[in-house]
Amino acid sequence: MTQLSSVRPDGSRVPIFPSDVRGRFITSRRVVFAALIGIYLASPLVTIGGHPAVQLDVEHRRFYLFGSTFNSQDFWIVLFLATGFAFSLLFVTAWRGRLWCGWACPQTVFLEGLYRPIERLFDGSREKRLKLAGSPWTAGRVLRLVGKHATWFAISLFISHAALSLFVSTHDLIEMVRQGPANSPLAFSWALGVTALLHFNFTWFREQFCVVICPYGRMQSLLHDAHSVVIGYDVRRGEPRGHLKKDGPKLGDCIDCKLCVTACPTAIDIRNGLQMECIACAQCVDACDEVMDKVHRPRGLIRYAAQSAFDGKTVQKVRPRLVLYAVLTLACFAALAVTMSQRKAFEANVLRLAGVPWVLEGTSVRNQFEVHLVNKSPHPAQLRVAVTSPVPAEIRIAEAEVTLKSFEDRRVQVVVTIEKAALRPGLDLQVTVDDLTSGGQRVKGLSFLFPKGP
Amino acid sequence: MIDDKKPAAPVHHVYDGIIEEDNHLPNWWLAILFGTIVFGFGYWLVYQTTEVLPNPVAAYKLDAAAEAKLHPETAPMTNDALVALVDDPALVAAGKESYATTCVACHRQNGEGLVGPNLTDAVWIHGGKPTDIHAAISNGFPEKGMPPWGKTLGPTKVRAITAFVLTLKGKNLPGKEPQGQPE
Repeated sequence: MTQLSSVRPDGSRVPIFPSDVRGRFITSRRVVFAALIGIYLASPLVTIGGHPAVQLDVEHRRFYLFGSTFNSQDFWIVLFLATGFAFSLLFVTAWRGRLWCGWACPQTVFLEGLYRPIERLFDGSREKRLKLAGSPWTAGRVLRLVGKHATWFAISLFISHAALSLFVSTHDLIEMVRQGPANSPLAFSWALGVTALLHFNFTWFREQFCVVICPYGRMQSLLHDAHSVVIGYDVRRGEPRGHLKKDGPKLGDCIDCKLCVTACPTAIDIRNGLQMECIACAQCVDACDEVMDKVHRPRGLIRYAAQSAFDGKTVQKVRPRLVLYAVLTLACFAALAVTMSQRKAFEANVLRLAGVPWVLEGTSVRNQFEVHLVNKSPHPAQLRVAVTSPVPAEIRIAEAEVTLKSFEDRRVQVVVTIEKAALRPGLDLQVTVDDLTSGGQRVKGLSFLFPKGP
Repeated sequence: MIDDKKPAAPVHHVYDGIIEEDNHLPNWWLAILFGTIVFGFGYWLVYQTTEVLPNPVAAYKLDAAAEAKLHPETAPMTNDALVALVDDPALVAAGKESYATTCVACHRQNGEGLVGPNLTDAVWIHGGKPTDIHAAISNGFPEKGMPPWGKTLGPTKVRAITAFVLTLKGKNLPGKEPQGQPE
């Protein structure tokens, strides 16, 4: 292809009016869209252990995920989650193409699952929409436009508020809405900004996001190989294409009805081969299958298959890149599982007091430090601090046992005094913190500092 | 994939059959490019040169000044202001709570002293005026083992602890032997 199918040579946008399709893929996709939207809406509403299943309280750095609680110190775990998802995306792409784009990406889910059906409801089929686009601005057309955009805006408002409730909890969000924008200007501007962005994106920008902005879309040529399953056109079966004629020359199976082109939400002709714009939505597959049924030819002229299969070569199912991506995906998720199972419900860190490495006091040396405790569990926790020394020492702990509320933290002061005679290099104290509530334990070492010399 | 159609845009170069063309960018994309240039120039004009609106540094200073007015506890302390705090039972109670977690390891529960000096007697190592006590808590005497608490605890807690320590003054509890000079 010499240029994008959705941009004209002068840089203006080619408006796209995808036609309706019927078939197994669009039906399954709608089921998947409904399920994904359901999960999205349910995650802030369902409560597990007294907290929403998903709440990312960024303001207070408290993160509730499916019954577990995290604070900002746990952020490093996101590394395993993010890399795990990234590698699994690479794996799926190399194995089955852009399944993500066509079936699970929010851009597709909301566009094809909500916004496009609303447009269809107000403006009718592709033919009607094309006619409407070229018609004069009558009162009826204006009314349709206003009704369509009002419905879209309501949907955008709803989606943005659902997004906001992931951050502030549904309960708080309802309270904020009741009290009005003046009392929570930040949340209100987020809701309004996200609404405007969603509205702009899903009613006008649409496929331009996938074609021009999305980095995943631009990486496809690196991730695919000839054996990746993509959506393709069977050139050997279809060509030479041509309209059905009773006594014409014998042609291929493609009757050149162009329904695969009109069904495409990014306006490409899949018969030109796999293109950067293809989001693998399979609407051309459904469109073509229906036509093939009508002309009594086998389905699958356009289908999910590897390029090597279309070329009549053998498809290599196991390839080095697949193995590599699978191993990396598994490694990341295994690391995540180990991390989560080893996770303790509290943090304990030993910090020396600023500017006071040691204090000389007559015949003894004093070290002062504090034990910073954070209860990360969703419940109150009783923590016990104990300090042991290998040599006789006077150990004073301001509060050996503290009870902390969920996400509360405390600095426990500790003073250790050791006679000079008992000092030796490499003298290590041991700080043990027991969580009497959950049974967890953390042990920290701390070397006792003292000046050299007599 | 190379199309049979004539390229719409001038061809930059061809290498191994791969054509680089010079297609027109989407107009909305160009609108963003030129829009940001116009915005950048306007920003520079408004905030940096004419300063019709205060630039971010000036705006921050204005905000900080307004914030400081709202929080008088960050202002420099006077003896009278600190003594007046003792009459606020809620503040003294808060001070006692912070004292219990921060100071008891060295000064004991009621200020009778242990590692640190006795806070209830009539003599003081670093001065016993309210401002001296406030400064001692805030800045510490690291060489003697008293850490600077100002940064860790913040001005409100330091003020509350000062108020609580002032209530201990003169109780003369038995504890660590007197150190220092009378006030």
